[in-house]
Amino acid sequence: MARLQEFVLRRPESIEEAVGQLAAEPEARVISGGTALIANLRLGLGSPAALISLERVSGMDRIEVSAKEMRFGAGVTVARLATDDAVRAKLPALAAAALTVAGPSHRSVATIGGNLCLDTRCVYYNQNETWRSSNGYCLKYRGDICHVAPQGKRCHAAYSGDLAPVLLVLQAGIAVAGAAGVRRMPLAGLYQEDGAHHLTLAQGEFVSEVSVPLPAAGMRVAYRKARVRGAIDFPLAGVAMALRMSEGRVAELHVALTGTNSQPMLLTGTEECRGASVDEALADKVGKLVQRQASPQRTTVTTSNYRRQVATAYARRLILELAAAN
Amino acid sequence: MKRLVSLWLNGKRREDAVADNLLLIDYVRETAALTGTKCGCDGGECGACTVLIDGEPRLACMTLTATCDGKRVETIEGLAVGGTLSSLQQAFHEKLGTQCGFCTPGMIMAAEALLRRNASPSEETIREALSGNLCRCTGYVKIIESVKAACEP
Amino acid sequence: MSEILSPKPMGATIAAHPVGRRQPLIDGIEKVTGRARYTADLAATQALTGVILPSPHAHAEIVSIDVSRARALPGVRAVITGDDCDVPFGILPIARNEYPLARGKVLYWGEAVAAVAADDEQTALAALALIEVEYRLLPVYTHAAEARAPDAVLLHANKPGNMEREVSNSFGDVDAGFAAADLVREESFHYAEVAHGQIEPDCAVAEFEPSSGRLTVQSVSQVPYYVHLTISECLKMDPADVRVIKPFVGGGFGHRTETLPFEVTAALLARAARGAVKLQLSRAETFTIHRARPETDIRLKIGMKKSGEITAVEAEVVQRGGASAGYGIITILYAGALLHTLYRMPAVRYRGFRVYTNTPPCGPMRGHGGVDMRHAFESLMDMMAATFGLDAFAVRRANLFVAPYQTMNELKVSTCELAACLDWVEEASGWRSRKGKLPRGRGLGVACSHFISGAAKPVHWTGEPHATVNLRLDFDGSITLLTGAADIGQGSSTLLAQIAAEVLGLELSRFRVIAGDSALTPKDNGSYSSRVSLMVGNAALAAAEELKRQLVAAAAKRLEVGVEEVECLGEAYLVTGTDRMASYRDVVKSALEVTGPLTARGTYTVPLELQGGKYRGAGVGPSPAYSYAASVVEVSVDEDTGEIKVEKMWVAQDCGVAINPLSVEGQVQGSVWMGMGQALCEETEFMDGRPMRGNLLDYRVPTIVESPPIEVKIIKAYEPNGPMGAKEASESSLGSIPPALAAAVAEAIGVRLPGLPLSPDRVLAAIQARRRDERLKSALGGAS
Repeated sequence: MARLQEFVLRRPESIEEAVGQLAAEPEARVISGGTALIANLRLGLGSPAALISLERVSGMDRIEVSAKEMRFGAGVTVARLATDDAVRAKLPALAAAALTVAGPSHRSVATIGGNLCLDTRCVYYNQNETWRSSNGYCLKYRGDICHVAPQGKRCHAAYSGDLAPVLLVLQAGIAVAGAAGVRRMPLAGLYQEDGAHHLTLAQGEFVSEVSVPLPAAGMRVAYRKARVRGAIDFPLAGVAMALRMSEGRVAELHVALTGTNSQPMLLTGTEECRGASVDEALADKVGKLVQRQASPQRTTVTTSNYRRQVATAYARRLILELAAAN
Repeated sequence: MKRLVSLWLNGKRREDAVADNLLLIDYVRETAALTGTKCGCDGGECGACTVLIDGEPRLACMTLTATCDGKRVETIEGLAVGGTLSSLQQAFHEKLGTQCGFCTPGMIMAAEALLRRNASPSEETIREALSGNLCRCTGYVKIIESVKAACEP
Repeated sequence: MSEILSPKPMGATIAAHPVGRRQPLIDGIEKVTGRARYTADLAATQALTGVILPSPHAHAEIVSIDVSRARALPGVRAVITGDDCDVPFGILPIARNEYPLARGKVLYWGEAVAAVAADDEQTALAALALIEVEYRLLPVYTHAAEARAPDAVLLHANKPGNMEREVSNSFGDVDAGFAAADLVREESFHYAEVAHGQIEPDCAVAEFEPSSGRLTVQSVSQVPYYVHLTISECLKMDPADVRVIKPFVGGGFGHRTETLPFEVTAALLARAARGAVKLQLSRAETFTIHRARPETDIRLKIGMKKSGEITAVEAEVVQRGGASAGYGIITILYAGALLHTLYRMPAVRYRGFRVYTNTPPCGPMRGHGGVDMRHAFESLMDMMAATFGLDAFAVRRANLFVAPYQTMNELKVSTCELAACLDWVEEASGWRSRKGKLPRGRGLGVACSHFISGAAKPVHWTGEPHATVNLRLDFDGSITLLTGAADIGQGSSTLLAQIAAEVLGLELSRFRVIAGDSALTPKDNGSYSSRVSLMVGNAALAAAEELKRQLVAAAAKRLEVGVEEVECLGEAYLVTGTDRMASYRDVVKSALEVTGPLTARGTYTVPLELQGGKYRGAGVGPSPAYSYAASVVEVSVDEDTGEIKVEKMWVAQDCGVAINPLSVEGQVQGSVWMGMGQALCEETEFMDGRPMRGNLLDYRVPTIVESPPIEVKIIKAYEPNGPMGAKEASESSLGSIPPALAAAVAEAIGVRLPGLPLSPDRVLAAIQARRRDERLKSALGGAS
């Protein structure tokens, strides 16, 4: 089996220590569960001189519940999100989304922080060195053109995490640790629409915590994931939705997508649905929002057209289902 | 860089000088010469290398050995205690849950992790627990039957 | 002494009957404990690491290769290129055009150009990076039509039009058949290429012993004999100096039914390095070795009477064969030959084109040659039956033949229980009460399929028996069954032991099976074309009968009676009609007193009258027996997403007598499930020759989650040409699933897709096209 290239593994025990090590070694990469990073390293994607494991950092695996929110250390595993009683009770859509990630032996070690920071994916990128070099590499790594859109200027690799869309519609916030201390921001601020640089983290920063406000009473949240197989697969497209109804009309609506763009994204324009009753016309309207804002490219072996259509179909279906559940 | 890693492998304590980039699958198969754990893909796609780390199912091909320091690692070779097959091993044998046998060690370890948590899982729970383990021979029918049979008293 | 002589207590007077019993695998314990050693597991601590330099281009001339820097790297023990082997190989003696390492040209992306053996992997990879290859690019043909274009560059200079084989044959009066039909309909279908996806990646370990000049190769093969033959030819060695061992093999499905280039390369490296070399391929490299079911286009025309009776068939098939010949000629011939043996076919005209392309070589895959054609045929039959208002079962029943039956292309079918198969799946699925009454989005489909029980003509004609089994009996009373037939997980070693044990009346615990070691086991053509159960089974039966004759003779002598008075009860030999008997261990002792350790040999040769006709291509299709299956598949389809959920599959299998019903069920379940994978989601894909799905994320082998319950019925049957009535059970059912599933989807969504796979994007596109049509029709209807 192909050996990983050499690196030094560092195992800091506190956030401060981790931050210090990252500052001292700019070529280092943060590793959490490693299910994504090691797969990429095995393909020769990246050559970090050091890996800084967050596994031993104290407090990274805590789940805290208060009256207002749940807080997760970034090292909480996806398996725990799926099975933890408090998560299942307070944030069932998050638990359900966690259960759609890969398979059990990935989830047992993959983390919420790692999943949020998941590298973007593309058929021209997630290939071995032989393949990529024979294709002249690509904009995301070692090359200078994006084979998906050769005339464009940016990388179109797609973000494919399953947790981000649910956390976005839940209006989650994150804590980012760095040399300047810890800063907090909305999760949406973590991302930008560039497949090669989809995270806004500065050099030496990492996500240390995720906080999720408990949904308002009556808020229904759900996630639907399109994939060909019932497990293992990344989302071809994923739709998360949070809907609160009041007197039969939409009081609050948030929709987020994954798998369709270089970032997980909260749809804009959902506030225009406020006050509407939920019917086919509104479903069409939500579908149109998805259709316009989703921008799947040829980054998977499944056509981009299909991914847009299935995202639209799921959004339409979700709003009808969530309204009916109210 | 190498470091001294001590862990329990199938209940036996081991101490080895281990390179930081050594994957657990290579440690198990080459350093410890336990070749029951299989490599079926180029990283995290097939589940054939599933082992237990502190009782949790994990992919040995995605795990750095150095991070297993102080942990309990279990492989297929550790299941038959005193030469007696575990109930899962017995059932996979009798019910033909194994054909070519290549996915079998990973499949049994994933099922083992399940049965330690849940002694009488539903069929849906069995499917969920084995969803990361590909088999190309059985169509999974007799694998499910084997896990069910292993749960019978 | 007697304790040593007899591991079994004396006293069993009733013979054991292992045949027909649900028998766990004879090597199952090794598999569930992790003790089973596959090629990659062999203790090869002294072995050098072998690595391969793949071609970065799908079609190019090799202008120059410079390996001097790689050779100079410390720790490198051998660097070889196409110059190190000038002997082309290929499974068919008439079509050998593959080299272990490319010579002059590369014909597909990833083709091996050079190989290195070094002290460790790091050094080997570093050496690869030092090899300098200059290429001159040629146009890349990823589809058959491109390669067939008049101005296309030839992949093989002696093959104009890049045509590996063009088949044209006609049986019966096709034109009269069409003229007599009430309906003639023609449709075209397209099938994506699929892959075997066996979970064990390819691997070979070769050890060259410099002092003796001998070579031992261990590999993942289904055909160790062909590996032996090819390696000795390619290395220009006396075959006596080569030994080939098959360790445990992690699945085959056809991937390993011919010598593969890496096997020869491992041998070349070991000899060049004068030592042992382990060549472990990655999953991506294993996908590039390929040898599976080709991308196929089918144009099919059927003539049918109102009764459903088929009057004539015309079929044209184009297969994208990939870069070298392999089994290609056989595949394109099977696509035509197997049209004849499922239903009564009065007249068939067939044209087949096997085309060379710049993609990995295709080969045989479970249901060899027949699967895509079966989908086309069953689908078109359904469509035409609908025109006549005939039920899918009715149209099939209208075309059944009664065995024994001789086809127009001179194939002899001795037994066929397809009618009983249809009856069972109709009943079990509740077809009559449910078909046509399911809610929208749900559907049922039925289809039939079949396969040979071994090709009657071996690939290499030697005049030798088609199968040989040796049974070895020594002082300890245990029997070792020696066979060259490769158990690749299908359970052949268990089956052979069951047959021999049944003849001798012994329990399996008396037996050991050694399969596939050329130093110990008799040559066998290998595990392909579902030949082992019938052919090697018959050889095992003959060997056991021979051994029994020797034991009965020894018992007669010991008991001082004539051989006709001795009855074999397995653990005892009885003088008929008396209570005088000798124990098995005493009989063994007596038998060995005269001759020493015994070896009994049994062989099987397909009777000449079952070896087929005399026309060109007649060697493909004949078999001593054909197995039959019918399946019903139930699906539900999400019309918004195009996702198919397979709710259940019912399969009825005619495999003659099931020697091991447990194993038959397992084989049938695995077979129909593999058909389901091809129908639902499996496909390879190439862009400019580069594989886009060379991993197990994008090559989507179904997981346990979406895999449905599968109910299997073994139909009561007896095949006189098979051992104890048995015939094939591992391949015949596969082909029924894609058409049955497609028919179910057609019912669910009201539209039929012209090919496979029925991936959600294709299904959704079909649903949307149907909706557009409906809108158009209603708009037109409104306007008129």
